[in-house]
Amino acid sequence: MTPWLDCSPAALLLSLEVAGVVLVLFLVAGIALGYALSQPIPFRNLLDALVSLPLVFPPIAIGFFLLMLLGRHGAVGGPLHERFGWDLVFSFPGLVLAAFVAGLPLVVKPIQSAIEGSARELIEVSYTLGKGRLATLFLVVIPVIRRHIAAGLTLGIGRSFGEVGITLMLGGNILGSTETLSLAIYNQVLDGDFACATRLSILLGILSLGLFLILRRLGRL
Amino acid sequence: MPCLEADLDFRRAGFRLAARIRVPETGITALVGPSGCGKTTVLRLLAGLERPRSGHIRHGEHVWFDRGRGIDLAPRLRRVGLMFQDYALFPHLSVARNVAFGQPRGDGAEAVRFWLERLQLLPFAERRPHALSGGQRQRVALARALASRPEVLLLDEPFSAVDLGLRQSLRLLFQEVVADRSMPTVLVTHDLDDVRHLADRVGVLVEGELRQFGPTAEVFSTPCDAEVARVLGWDNRLPVSGCEDGWVRGGWGCLRLNGALASGIPELVAIRPHGPSLTEGPGLEVEIARITDMGGYRTLLCRLPDRTALQIHLPPQASPPPPGTRTRLSIPEHCILPLPARGRVPAIPSSACN
Repeated sequence: MTPWLDCSPAALLLSLEVAGVVLVLFLVAGIALGYALSQPIPFRNLLDALVSLPLVFPPIAIGFFLLMLLGRHGAVGGPLHERFGWDLVFSFPGLVLAAFVAGLPLVVKPIQSAIEGSARELIEVSYTLGKGRLATLFLVVIPVIRRHIAAGLTLGIGRSFGEVGITLMLGGNILGSTETLSLAIYNQVLDGDFACATRLSILLGILSLGLFLILRRLGRL
Repeated sequence: MPCLEADLDFRRAGFRLAARIRVPETGITALVGPSGCGKTTVLRLLAGLERPRSGHIRHGEHVWFDRGRGIDLAPRLRRVGLMFQDYALFPHLSVARNVAFGQPRGDGAEAVRFWLERLQLLPFAERRPHALSGGQRQRVALARALASRPEVLLLDEPFSAVDLGLRQSLRLLFQEVVADRSMPTVLVTHDLDDVRHLADRVGVLVEGELRQFGPTAEVFSTPCDAEVARVLGWDNRLPVSGCEDGWVRGGWGCLRLNGALASGIPELVAIRPHGPSLTEGPGLEVEIARITDMGGYRTLLCRLPDRTALQIHLPPQASPPPPGTRTRLSIPEHCILPLPARGRVPAIPSSACN
């Protein structure tokens, strides 16, 4: 292990694993929600508000409410634990959920506004030319707004990497188990090891920048 | 023959559209009107991109929309070829793939090639839309709409983005291509030349209301009210303040009308530019403001006593006195058209579909 990681060796790998899973989730849910929210669907405003909530609501409070909901004694987490033995909190799924909730609005909003703007007329043309919603999504929407998708993913993943508040609540900050890179920096600062915190911060910055450059390049294709 | 018949009632944010139209299978039906009158909305309602509040839309035996019966056919099932004002070409697809996009299954590359050839697009088949000129884009949009084998063709300002020089040749090409196919065709435009050159029938929309509908020549020669006359380019409109014994008067003078007035005092009298002539005898007092040689005729811009402008056309051999001269204008009765403030809702002949 390089001296960069000797203070928290598992954190980088865990953060990359979380980012990998969340990237796939963002891709599917971000496009689906962005497309759905640009259409006249029932309860559109409610769905829009729920997706946008993490932009305006304090992350620590969102994390707390999700912990209450998804914990072993929560309305959702309780039955899942009893019936299937699933634990969503203080585990890898909890970290994924935290990163997903925090970054989702940053993925959905650029996609939604691109569809409502530049893609709207093209969608209508596609409909009049005999294509349904799904065919229009794959043949028109995704190719036309691919740059916006890349931009949304960049923002979402960047936000996920830096997520602390919700992750702290849902992940539990268990050393060696649910300690992501951001939480490792937080822990090192609490321990007074500023040299290690500095190294991890630079690493996180390089990681985010690298991902930004890759996604930007993909968006240009 | 299946015609397109629609009775539309649409409301949104203070705007109301109420129109009944019947578009026969043959020929082109134009819709004209000032900006914001609802022309594009009519096309969007017909295509299924907007939903009327009430009414119905039928194409022959097929009901596309009927509020009362709960029928609202999705746009993709209406088989409408809609050409948007800015063409809305798919930017990520080549010209050939744009044209092929809406093709029915079974139509192969030959059909795409046919349309590319027909609309003189073969040399640009592999180009993306951003590498095309305005006229080329217009032809791609038309080819794409026609290659989908539509049963109804809807065109929203198809020539607005091309320059005047190109417009004439595109109109000709358009007319040839559309004449080949027998289907209801609706052309929305603000360009009266497009209407005169292309349309067999014209409907005039004003503030969401179809004020007049009929054969193009008839509608242009006898607009039903002052607003329709303005839309149709009747520039010589004189406000009327009184009317008695077959004469109408205003601050500009008085004129004798041809026959009795159908109802009350007209709001305006419109003057045809062809027909009036300068005279030494009785007539309207005018001051000549400007003379313009238009090639085949001369345009005389005159000022009436109340400073209203009046434009008349004189034959090229006429030699009017120079600008600034006060003279008189003789206006034959057949050149004067009294116009009420608001026309009655047009009765559409049921024979329009048969």
